[in-house]
Amino acid sequence: MSTAPSAREPSPSEGANGDPSGGYARLRELLVGPEQARLEELQRRLDDRQLRTEDLSQVIAEAITLRLRRDRSLQHALNPLVEDAVRISVARDPGILASTLYPIIGAAVRKSVAHALRGLVDSINQTLERSFSLESLKWRIEARRAGKSFGEIALIHSLRYRVEQVFLIHRESGLLLAHAARAEQIVQDSDLVSGMLTAIQDFVRDSFTGAGGQEVETIELGEFNLWVQHGPAATLAGVVSGTPPPELRGLLERTLEQVHSDFAAPLSEFKGDTSAFAATQPLLQGLLLGQGATVAKHKSRGFFIAAAAAVVLLIAAGLFLLVRHQSRWDRLLLRLRSEPGIVLTSADKSWGHYRLSGLRDPLSTDPEALIRDSGIDPVQVTAHWEPYVSLHAKFSAERRFRSEKDALEQEVLRFPLNSAQLTSEQLIRLDDVEAHIVNLQEDSAAGQKIVVEVRGHTDPTGKEDRNETLSQQRAEAVVKALSDRGISRNMFRTVAMGSREPLRRNIPAYMSDLNRRVSFRVIVEAEGAR
Amino acid sequence: MIQKKICMVGAFGVGKTSLVARFVHSIFSEKYQTTVGVKIDKKVVQSRGEEVTLVLWDLAGEDALTTVKPAQIKGASGYILVVDGLRRQTLEAARDLQRRVTEVVGNAPFVCVLNKADVRETWEVQPADLEPLAAQRWTLVETSAKTGAGVEHLFQALADAMMQEHHATDSTTGAVAG
Repeated sequence: MSTAPSAREPSPSEGANGDPSGGYARLRELLVGPEQARLEELQRRLDDRQLRTEDLSQVIAEAITLRLRRDRSLQHALNPLVEDAVRISVARDPGILASTLYPIIGAAVRKSVAHALRGLVDSINQTLERSFSLESLKWRIEARRAGKSFGEIALIHSLRYRVEQVFLIHRESGLLLAHAARAEQIVQDSDLVSGMLTAIQDFVRDSFTGAGGQEVETIELGEFNLWVQHGPAATLAGVVSGTPPPELRGLLERTLEQVHSDFAAPLSEFKGDTSAFAATQPLLQGLLLGQGATVAKHKSRGFFIAAAAAVVLLIAAGLFLLVRHQSRWDRLLLRLRSEPGIVLTSADKSWGHYRLSGLRDPLSTDPEALIRDSGIDPVQVTAHWEPYVSLHAKFSAERRFRSEKDALEQEVLRFPLNSAQLTSEQLIRLDDVEAHIVNLQEDSAAGQKIVVEVRGHTDPTGKEDRNETLSQQRAEAVVKALSDRGISRNMFRTVAMGSREPLRRNIPAYMSDLNRRVSFRVIVEAEGAR
Repeated sequence: MIQKKICMVGAFGVGKTSLVARFVHSIFSEKYQTTVGVKIDKKVVQSRGEEVTLVLWDLAGEDALTTVKPAQIKGASGYILVVDGLRRQTLEAARDLQRRVTEVVGNAPFVCVLNKADVRETWEVQPADLEPLAAQRWTLVETSAKTGAGVEHLFQALADAMMQEHHATDSTTGAVAG
């Protein structure tokens, strides 16, 4: 087109110069004048960049729209341009793009981080739970044998969830493409449920998130979870009872991706005919994982744990008691062996009963008391002690003390009738009394205070009040005589017995002389108790 | 099995829900419409010897506060415009709605329903109002929620139109593929 006018152009000017009469030129002008003017105008427009730009600017938007409708080549053509433009923009001033993207970048990062964290927390929980169970060991072995990942095996065996139904939903229309449910599941109007599910998602998105691009991924309802996975053309929704493992999300994703790649054509051309999607059934059936009776299983596990805990507790308690008994028994034997005056010859126990036998000095500590002290029930112990005399220093001193005490308490000083005067013959006996008292003082154990009760007696004749006084005088006479010999007065305590304590009752008169006497009692008091 | 999503739209209070109540299978209560903004019902019809399941999205009526959301209309193969014969402005609303729905779903088949046919003599909508619509080849059906007249016909007409479209596009895609 550009060649034709340029070939023609010279001819009018040629004609104007070459033809003297100008007739031809005029004829030409008459015949093609208007067309020529328009051609010139067109030429001018084509040559003028400014005008051409203006022309193009008027139609460029419509042209792009038209082309976009026809195919996607414009996108491909513009792609490098856009990329380059973005690159230049960033290189020149990163601030512009940064502030443009700012409102969405936060949301994107948050979503991605939250997603990653949620997955991490879930998997940590699951890992912790599983890594300590016998079951997990079994699964690991099975995984190795089957050449599968542990996650897959765990997913198959996890008994705490059950995928009850799976919906494959056409994203745009909300129509149900395919549906799988457990055989025993009563499914009512899955196509209506599918539609409503889509509507509810729209509703939630419109009402709460405000922005596009965010999708409902989980709906929780009591023990049911609805897990939704979104693809560009279809949505996969699984109704899960119990606690689904995080691996299930990955499985949903993979299944949906496979549906998208295997059924790309039916999905993009979908106009309501769902027969093409019958072939997705095996994929959907594969998602119906988990097993039933999840709650019961949980319960029995809980019961098992409780029972095991009870058994362990019982065993522990038994062991504790056994150990405590044993240690008490050992301590008792040690005590008995170290106790002066006790010689343990045999000690054994069988079926909770204890037997002890040995020798025992009667002066030694009562073994019964030692058994009681040890915490062992004395009923459980049979003991046989043969008496013997220990040569232990503690006992010989005590034994001497006792014999001195007995001897002193046997001593009697006699008085003539109605007299508190010691006769000379009785004074000799006083030497023995004195010797006994001195010995007692020597042999008394540390911390013991010895009191010698000096008891005055009379015969039954005479008035009782006179007898009382007389018996007092007799006791005091003895105390005086002994203190004269150098024994501290503090050791003595006088008691006036009158005639209340005769040697023997109803004795003949000649023997009643014997009642006129002073006798002794030795009282051992703890030091300080006065 | 053929499934088609259809929407039912109209101004507030034109009687959409009660119009179809007796003719559709429903498992959701009317509360859904006021909360979620849509209630989904099902209607199975025979068209050209095929069984077609119509999944009916009964959208909340338009008023000052609620407008039809494009997300709810998306993917619909057909729709029903409901007009209350007693109120002329509902007809205007329907024309407006038709324009907006077309923006989302393109030239999908639809049926315009003139409801409350049982009290036709008191209608505010006059035949003259309907002439321009007929000229635009709108399918007009008179119905009555009270008597149930015209409702079956409404679904049948819409299903037939959609199935015609279905097979027409089938053959075109077939031609393109061939």
